[in-house]
Amino acid sequence: MDYFLQLVISGLAVGMIYSFIGMGFAMIYRATGVVNFAQGEMMMLVAYIAFTLSGTLKMGFWPMLLCTIILAMLIGLVLEVLLIRPMLGQPVFSIVMVTIGLSVILRSVVVLIWGADPMPMDVGLSTEIVRIGPAGLYQAHLYGMGLMGVVLLGLWAFFRYSRVGIAMRATANVQTAALLMGINVKRIFALSWALSAGLAAIAGVLVGVIYDINPGMWGTGLRSFPAVILGGLDSVFGAALGGALIGVVENLSEGYIGRGMKEIAGFLLILVVLMVRPYGLFGKPDIERV
Amino acid sequence: MRSGNFKQRYGQLIALTDSVPVVVWSCILVLGLALAPLLLSKYYLSVILLLLITAVGVLGLNLLTGTTGLISLGHSGFLAVGAYTAGIVANKLGWTLLPSIFAGGFSAAIAGVIVGIPSLRLKGLYLAITTMAFAVIINHLILNGGSLTGGSEGLTVPQPELFGQALKAEWGYYYLVLAFLVAFTFISLNILRSRIGRAFLAIREHDIAAKAMGINLVRYKLMAFMVSAFYTGIAGGLLAYYMRYLNVDGFSLLLSIEALSMLIVGGLGSVAGALMGATFIVLLNEGLAFSFSMIGANMGGANFSAVYEVKGIVYGLTIVLFLRFEPDGLMGRWRDVKHYWTNWPFRF
Repeated sequence: MDYFLQLVISGLAVGMIYSFIGMGFAMIYRATGVVNFAQGEMMMLVAYIAFTLSGTLKMGFWPMLLCTIILAMLIGLVLEVLLIRPMLGQPVFSIVMVTIGLSVILRSVVVLIWGADPMPMDVGLSTEIVRIGPAGLYQAHLYGMGLMGVVLLGLWAFFRYSRVGIAMRATANVQTAALLMGINVKRIFALSWALSAGLAAIAGVLVGVIYDINPGMWGTGLRSFPAVILGGLDSVFGAALGGALIGVVENLSEGYIGRGMKEIAGFLLILVVLMVRPYGLFGKPDIERV
Repeated sequence: MRSGNFKQRYGQLIALTDSVPVVVWSCILVLGLALAPLLLSKYYLSVILLLLITAVGVLGLNLLTGTTGLISLGHSGFLAVGAYTAGIVANKLGWTLLPSIFAGGFSAAIAGVIVGIPSLRLKGLYLAITTMAFAVIINHLILNGGSLTGGSEGLTVPQPELFGQALKAEWGYYYLVLAFLVAFTFISLNILRSRIGRAFLAIREHDIAAKAMGINLVRYKLMAFMVSAFYTGIAGGLLAYYMRYLNVDGFSLLLSIEALSMLIVGGLGSVAGALMGATFIVLLNEGLAFSFSMIGANMGGANFSAVYEVKGIVYGLTIVLFLRFEPDGLMGRWRDVKHYWTNWPFRF
């Protein structure tokens, strides 16, 4: 039982990172109907920026996180305006391929600027292990879980009460109607890219603090796909839950079935789930008419 | 428009081509490729050989993604299945060249059907990610395949032999690959002008409308997956004998992306476009590698370590810029040029 609980809790800790990345995917997909395949690379780029901030400016964890999120949102905005906006009106496949192209570019840029060696990110968090039940977690894990709570609450309030949030929901729902209601859809698109980059920033900083930063980090973005597919591509909160689930499933399969299962458990799970629910657990079915 | 070009019978509408220059130039191209081993050095031949093998695989992806409109990020998986099957039956069971290449093709086709079945209910990006999941799982299985696949140590493939004669990569094997490419190009063109090809196109435009017109979606989508995977599997088998050593690192997801970018550069959905795109990207890769080696030599043999990164950036930029400025690819540009010349001095 202890072993099981330990696996579940550390699975949740890993899943949290998938959740943050997955929410970033869902944020963009909801508004624009495009999956940003460069989300993992965004996370990597931002993590390296955070590394530079904490290394050269000697910032503590919280100021560094704040600066990183702001910078990331700016980068998200710039990328949207430069690459995605000119593609407006093109087929989804083309826009997705642009993000794939972007991912290839970002991967190279990161190595070009910061080199290929893994580096530890030291922000002065204590490395003592906090015991929760049978599992041991780092301080960063706890911060991450706290952040997750804050972000979820914040997003919920944002979508529920703020004018912009409601406009985003309207755009996600029916784009044409939103346009007719006087919503500036282009601005909504840009905002969703910025928010998504902000979420990637949190994920990147957490990965950097908990593990290290290396040019293979973008792989975590790849492994977050099952999270967002499980929750349904257009459900931000579904992605959060999906991330947690995938983290736990990965850990359990590694613990009980065998080594290496971690890499594919998530993908196997979504294959099964999609057979039953083609739009994920919380995704909105797309009703098509001829 | 060429004047006096009337189609009077159905056969004329679906003919492979009605233009003599197309036939002549195609023959000249094939002839040129056939003469290449006599004229070119070993290095250029190996580039062309790689290009021919890539083209076979890209033709397959074109049938699925370009023609049927089902986006696949899993073709690196099919390529791996084909290559490893060919490698295993050749290495462990001692099969000869052609049977093992076809074994690669057929096993990939079976994998295609297996991937295709769960994909019947999925659309667009959900499908793309499912096929990606397949590629990830295949790579995992190969890595953990023990002595069968060689795991992370890789698998060696015997030298290609035909009728008891050893085929050299730059000589006999080159002609074999060329023959495969010509045959598969014809098969592709013929599929596209048959009932099956028209069904594929209808599915791409709107699958529900296609269904309403009486196209059996299950059958044709599975068929598209199967044929496409077969092509890619054959390319895998050819690649296995060309490289003579297989490692799972050679079949990363990047390969699927590369293949898709070839389609985009060439122009989705056209056979000639797929061939042009494959040529463009392979030559771009080789050209970059070549120019970097020149730069490296000029800098006193200093190890220019940023080669891969700059290659990555150029490569990504190629995809982005093509999509931005030439969404119809090289094929679209070619059509524009052709119209311009035939219609001059009129705009259209």
